[in-house]
Amino acid sequence: MIELRDVSKTVTSGGRPLTILHPLDLVIARGQFLAVLGASGSGKSTLLGLMAGLDAPTTGSIRFDDTDITTLDEDALARLRGATIGFVFQFFHLVPSLTALENVSVPMEIAGRRDALSRAESLLAEVGLASRGHHYPSQLSGGEQQRVAIARALANDPPVLLADEPTGNLDSRTGAHILDLLLEVRRTRGTTFVLVTHDAELAALADRRLILRDGHATLESSTAAARTSRVVSV
Amino acid sequence: MNGASMRFVMTLAARELRASWRRLLVFFACIAIGVSAIVALRSVVQNVGVALTADARSMFGADLIISSNNPITGVVRQEIAGERTAGRVLDAIDAIELTTMARSMRGPDAGARVVELRAVDAGYPMYGTLVLREGTYRHDLLRDHGALVGPDLLAQLGLDVGDVIGVGDARFEVRGVVASEPGRSVGAFSFGPRVVIDRADLASTGLLSFGSRVSYEVLLRVPETHLDPLADSLRASFVTEYVRVRTYRRAEDRLGENLSRAENYLSLVGLVILALGGIGISSVVRVFVQEKIRSVAILKCLGATTRQVLAAYLTQASVLAAAGCVVGVLIAAGVLAAVPALTAAAPVQVAAMARLEYGLTVSAVAQGVAVGLLVALLFALVPLLQVRDVKPSLLLRHEITPREGIDWTRWSAAAAVAAALVAVATWQAGSVEIALIVCGGLVALTIVLHGAGLALVRAVQPLARARSFALRHAVLQVARPGSQAGIVLLSVGLGVFFILGVRALQGNLLADISLQIDEDAPDLFLLDVQGDQRDGLAAFVDTRNGEEPPPAAIPVLRARVVGVNGRELNLDGYQDVRGRGSLAREYTVTYREHLEDNETLLDGRWWTGGDRSVAEVSIEESLRERYRIHLGDEMRFDLFGRIISARVTSVREVEWRDFRSGGFMFVFSPGTFDDAPHGFIATARGPADPEARAVLISGLSARYPNVSVIDVQEALRLARDVMATVTRGVTVVGALVLLSGTLILVGAVSMTKFRRVYEAAVLKTLGASTRLIGMTLLLEYTVLGAIAGTIGAAGAVVLSWAIATWGLELPWTPAPGLSVAGVLLTTLLVAVVGVLASLEVLRHKPLDTLRAE
Repeated sequence: MIELRDVSKTVTSGGRPLTILHPLDLVIARGQFLAVLGASGSGKSTLLGLMAGLDAPTTGSIRFDDTDITTLDEDALARLRGATIGFVFQFFHLVPSLTALENVSVPMEIAGRRDALSRAESLLAEVGLASRGHHYPSQLSGGEQQRVAIARALANDPPVLLADEPTGNLDSRTGAHILDLLLEVRRTRGTTFVLVTHDAELAALADRRLILRDGHATLESSTAAARTSRVVSV
Repeated sequence: MNGASMRFVMTLAARELRASWRRLLVFFACIAIGVSAIVALRSVVQNVGVALTADARSMFGADLIISSNNPITGVVRQEIAGERTAGRVLDAIDAIELTTMARSMRGPDAGARVVELRAVDAGYPMYGTLVLREGTYRHDLLRDHGALVGPDLLAQLGLDVGDVIGVGDARFEVRGVVASEPGRSVGAFSFGPRVVIDRADLASTGLLSFGSRVSYEVLLRVPETHLDPLADSLRASFVTEYVRVRTYRRAEDRLGENLSRAENYLSLVGLVILALGGIGISSVVRVFVQEKIRSVAILKCLGATTRQVLAAYLTQASVLAAAGCVVGVLIAAGVLAAVPALTAAAPVQVAAMARLEYGLTVSAVAQGVAVGLLVALLFALVPLLQVRDVKPSLLLRHEITPREGIDWTRWSAAAAVAAALVAVATWQAGSVEIALIVCGGLVALTIVLHGAGLALVRAVQPLARARSFALRHAVLQVARPGSQAGIVLLSVGLGVFFILGVRALQGNLLADISLQIDEDAPDLFLLDVQGDQRDGLAAFVDTRNGEEPPPAAIPVLRARVVGVNGRELNLDGYQDVRGRGSLAREYTVTYREHLEDNETLLDGRWWTGGDRSVAEVSIEESLRERYRIHLGDEMRFDLFGRIISARVTSVREVEWRDFRSGGFMFVFSPGTFDDAPHGFIATARGPADPEARAVLISGLSARYPNVSVIDVQEALRLARDVMATVTRGVTVVGALVLLSGTLILVGAVSMTKFRRVYEAAVLKTLGASTRLIGMTLLLEYTVLGAIAGTIGAAGAVVLSWAIATWGLELPWTPAPGLSVAGVLLTTLLVAVVGVLASLEVLRHKPLDTLRAE
């Protein structure tokens, strides 16, 4: 369960305070699929960053199960991310100097798993890239890179998957494949899934949608949510 | 850090290394060069040291040597005999050494040279061996006018074993060639080649006449336990005698001190190169971290802690530094293997080094590697600390929030680096003071050169408005932030600075010396001329040196101060004078009517005719300063037993550099020594033609065998050789620095290559031809090279001027040709290296590049 209480973010821009995210309360239950919708600059990515402990909120608290992550230091946050959160970014963010296989094994190596490489191989097979493990990111297409990123995000079996416009940098066909993959992952593993997108069609697939406009949030439940397993109110 | 964390750090370091070692290696080559310099220089000095001190006793030739400029007689002989009876001296033999002429007897004008003659008894050498080129040494070889000579004498006079040489009034048959002998060490100064004869034959040469430069020695064999007490008691007994007492142990200590000082100073050279490499490393690591920011953010996003990332990059730096050290040690081993070949052709003083065996010493390798690792890590640390500031949120928002306030960790790290550098320098130099001077000097030089570089970069800015596209972009590239121009200018400029600086200085020194020779200055010094030979010798030279003026004769005597009754200083006897250190030494003194051109009267009055009943003496200024001897003081001198009293009536300053008229600490009023027998130094100008000159010298030597001829032209040639060797040494250092600079340039190019390739691709897309881009690159590195050359050349002018004016007090003359050549060659070097390193930029196809981005 992810619980946000009175979370806001204000930054200084051009010497003046600028509120990117206005105070927000939000509870995301285990296994839920939440879509965060909004135009560019509406604060979507900021919200995602706050949830992942990549950034600290100006006000409020964020709890992961029983842990208030706003009280953790950098290194504790890093450990929490390594164990709990899987990330998928719009620009893939693979380490360019590592092969696909090594990119996937990094989170497991950080966690100290001894089977990192063999598990990385099976994860790559899961995303359909069994034969591309020794290629470097620059030798892979965009869709392939994103699949590597997904395999990496699943490395430590995280209960939470955060995706920041994962199809935003891909053509529509490849994007559709990637989304299918993510949804399948969510289905088979029961992962809590937060998807940031500006594509309303994609968002329609979610249990709930959080719509951001200039940092103000509105929450709406979906009829489509009926198709998914659980519906949880705020 | 636990085991799993450690494993991750190692894995990450290994993978990063795999990706970037090629681009970083060039910088660690700087470490290799610095380490090789430290290891090689230290090893050479330690090898020489081992050779010289391994058997100090055989190098010295005895346990204890008593020496004197007068025959050893009376009290000293009795004392030695007494000690021998008491069992404190096991054996004693005599040897006599003097500087004289040896001449070829092949023809009337077959040549003559100054030699160092050594007359020995059976039983010599007491320790060690006299090594001959062929056969083994026995005293029998010397009996009945046999001689063993240094190889240089045979070469200079064109003689072979079996030929006859004339020494004084006697003739000797050359019976062997001396390869090495005890008591003559590497690098020792000598007037000329060695000639060894039997002491029994010395009298027949007639050279032991009054005034000859003779050193009489008694070599003693002493039981080890008695050595130091015996030396002390002999010194005490001989305090009023004209003798010196030396032991091999004292010689060994002094040699050891000199060697360790030389070793420490030389290794500072390596440290300077290393520090430059360190600056290069620091700059490349900064660029490296910039490029890695995204990767670091990803790693942090995936759960890696700052400590793990930092540890991985430090591990990577350590591995590369270690590789640099290994390469450095290998280079040093190669250099050491080449030393004998390199030194064989050098002047005599250095050539002896060729006979030693060279190998790496453990301590040199350990020190070189330790310093190399330390410098590399220290300089990599500060820029690496930047990874702490990388926030994973960077992946969502493309911005870096700069740290607020002062980054104390970073500043403390920088301070620790500076302190550690001073500590390393202290360790290497063996002195805090020198370490501070070297580090301070390096920092000051870095700041000055860096400032000059920035100023020049700004000065070429107007070219950025030039009409030529290539020139405009070239200048923009040099000036853009993070262009690496600063570090390239610093390292290349410093190398050029060293090379040109020492060359300019050498030029000035040689010009100054030749200037003094070229004027009407005498270039032949004739020593030990006797009173009755004066006129004949003058006539002899005058008829054979063409237009030149006849020789002038300066009377010379040897005297010791044995008492002073003065205002501040009162010394009753020689024993008191001894307490004043060097005042007790034997001075060469003269008398004359006038002041010489190189003398200035500072105080008192010069004698002009008048009362000659009281002897007067004029002292050199340094005597007044050091010993507080003043006008009006009464001084007593001992001239071979005659005590003469003289009043100090003037103080002179002598321009020592101007040796034409000689320089004397004490000048007496004429008449003081009228009835004392004394010799003369004659100064003359020889014919310029080398053949006529050789004929004059051998003629002089045949007719006046007791007279030694010092040929200043010959000495100048030697000085030139020695200076050329020194210059070559400093040039090697400069070349190493320049090499580091070039490597830094290559590295800087490869560090910025990605950006360059991308920019070139964009420009090509916009219609620029490969040729135009190539021209831009060429111009860019030409501008950079010209600036680096200008910095180095200007620095060299300032350096040579400062040393000439303040250090050596020479008139300074600029060398514009040298400066211009330096700038042109540097420009060429940087342009060629820069363009060659950038060829990849030209080869890339724009589409591939843009797609990859």
